[in-house]
Amino acid sequence: MSHAVPRVEIRAAQQLKSLMRDYFLDLDAAACDADRRVAWCTSVGPCEILVAFGFATYFPENHGALLGAKRLSHQLIPYAVSAGYCAESCSYMNSDIGAALRGVSPLQDAYGIAGPPRPDLLVYSTNQCREVQDWWNFFGRRHDAPVLGICPPTHLGEITPAHVRFVRGELQALIERIEAHFGEKLDRDRLAEVVARSSAASTLWRRVLDTARARPAPISFWDGLIHMAPVILMRGSPAAVAYYETLLAEMQQRVRDRVGAVPHERFRVYWEGMPVWPRLRDLSDKCLELGVAVAASTYCNSWAFEDYSGGDPLEWMARASIAIFINRDEPTKQAFLLEMVRRFDLDGLIFHNARTCPNNTNSRFGMTQRLREDHGLAVLSVDGDLSDQRFFSTAQTMTNLEAFVEQLEVRRRPASSAVSQEVAG
Amino acid sequence: MSAVPLYVGIDAGSSATKCVVLAADGTIVGHGVVSSGFDYAEAADAALTLALGGTGLDRGDVACCVSTGYGRKNVRGAQRHVTEISCHARGARAWYPEVRGIVDIGGQDTKVIWIDARGELVDYRMNSKCAAGTGTFLESVAVRLGVPLSAIDALAMTSTAHSVLNSYCTVFTGTEVIERIKSGEPRQDISMGLFRSIAARVFEMCAARDGPIAATGGVVAHCRAMLRALEEIFGAPPLLPPWPQQAGAYGAALLAREVDPHDLDERPRSAQSEVSA
Repeated sequence: MSHAVPRVEIRAAQQLKSLMRDYFLDLDAAACDADRRVAWCTSVGPCEILVAFGFATYFPENHGALLGAKRLSHQLIPYAVSAGYCAESCSYMNSDIGAALRGVSPLQDAYGIAGPPRPDLLVYSTNQCREVQDWWNFFGRRHDAPVLGICPPTHLGEITPAHVRFVRGELQALIERIEAHFGEKLDRDRLAEVVARSSAASTLWRRVLDTARARPAPISFWDGLIHMAPVILMRGSPAAVAYYETLLAEMQQRVRDRVGAVPHERFRVYWEGMPVWPRLRDLSDKCLELGVAVAASTYCNSWAFEDYSGGDPLEWMARASIAIFINRDEPTKQAFLLEMVRRFDLDGLIFHNARTCPNNTNSRFGMTQRLREDHGLAVLSVDGDLSDQRFFSTAQTMTNLEAFVEQLEVRRRPASSAVSQEVAG
Repeated sequence: MSAVPLYVGIDAGSSATKCVVLAADGTIVGHGVVSSGFDYAEAADAALTLALGGTGLDRGDVACCVSTGYGRKNVRGAQRHVTEISCHARGARAWYPEVRGIVDIGGQDTKVIWIDARGELVDYRMNSKCAAGTGTFLESVAVRLGVPLSAIDALAMTSTAHSVLNSYCTVFTGTEVIERIKSGEPRQDISMGLFRSIAARVFEMCAARDGPIAATGGVVAHCRAMLRALEEIFGAPPLLPPWPQQAGAYGAALLAREVDPHDLDERPRSAQSEVSA
């Protein structure tokens, strides 16, 4: 049984803990310092510009995920709903708004700070969803801070030079608006440096994720959800680059030592869609028990951008902004998934149908069916949500996962060992 | 025929616990259904006692037991746990080798399972978290109708109108039922509409696959109106096993026969690597 072999914990996690602590304490300090400014940014938004301007950057989606992981969301969402936000809109947004209304934050217990830092500026990109715009506007009104954003073209197939030019123009306009508002010019050389570091961290992160192509996979989706924090929160910083150098070295060593995230890895699968933050432990334990390594995922790959090899940093940002999976059309997404199945040599895919996140759910327009029927892949779709555990049934999901593994076993068995027909007694 | 050793399948479902006992040659020598109540372990014991009753055999003759259903991990003495998806597929196919789709309408959930010509699990769907399309849905709306659950089937079978309920969720359906009663719609028509509503949920889970379909589960076992609604929407009557409610337990018992006795240890475990679906 897989339980008999203990899991080898990832050593870099200790370093990550102190990195996270430093990050949040610095954010808190920045918010209290009259000489410093804080900007809120969407997770795949133009944070490099903000870092280059000298803002301390904070990412509310991370707070939404924390509220989910701490199983607080379902208690806080009703306050957002009572303030006029639909219960089936983004549960990150609703729980974050509810948390603000109630003065609740997991950052209090974790780092001894009051909560999210007060923003001087809020910046969004709708490359991931339009909900962020209204989420940011709530906090802009609440803190009397300017809300700026870009709205790139969405659902893209091929990315054309015209697309990139358009988004570059939006980024340029954003810079000009920030300059006008704060009376400060952006240092373009600094932006190039920040973009280079952002790209370096992103590239290292992708290489970390790619180590899971090995059998056994040294890192799983569940680990990735923890270790991806710096590539989101600290993008553009030297600390993020240094962290992923350490993590990559450890993963490469694990590959050499054949240390798997799941001891006795039996099956390798893909996780498509958002994590179920309130039930991560239940799900990762079940995968461990079943010998299933979630070796690749869309979510963790969302911050694995293309390399920056010099040149116009705004063009790199524009391209990265629209090339992300969530911003692509169905055929492009499907092609990406098929390529991931091939590259990681996967046995099947698990799609998470997140009730309040239609934009990052890809099981709603026939893709699961197409992957099954046109490509012969084993595909499971589970119902749940990213933060609101009221949309998740543990018992049903666990049965689904077990049945999926039973299906994978059947697919792996040679045809000659198929069960013979039974005659009823 | 020598009955012993015996092979037992126990399906600890949310509403009922079912047990099927097989002789060494696969013949069903006993079966039983009891209410699950609040203790799956006790219900499983009771179901086994019921199944063995009158056979002259006892628990000491049991060579292997496989449990399934929501309470599968709670069944004492089970050497393997297998999901109800694999077990229903196994059981239904044993009765009908030609079957490709199995529609299992249980108390807590509804499943649609697809197998290939060799009986191998190809695909499956379970209802979403919402209760609509399950036995619980029927139970809940029967209260609104003011009809005992045991009487709703007979009432629905007297309907001659093609009534369809429009609501998707249990709560909204309850409200719709009250509205229809107030507007004077006969209860038998509303009742039949209820079964059509379940059949519609089942149909949309079928993912446009073809092949003979068997219907299993408690709702099917007790409600002819359910079969009628399934026939209407699928265009042909589903195959109906002799004991639809025990299909999962039967499948589990068949799987118990396939467990290598040398591979048994004291600790129950999931069947993943050892038992075929």
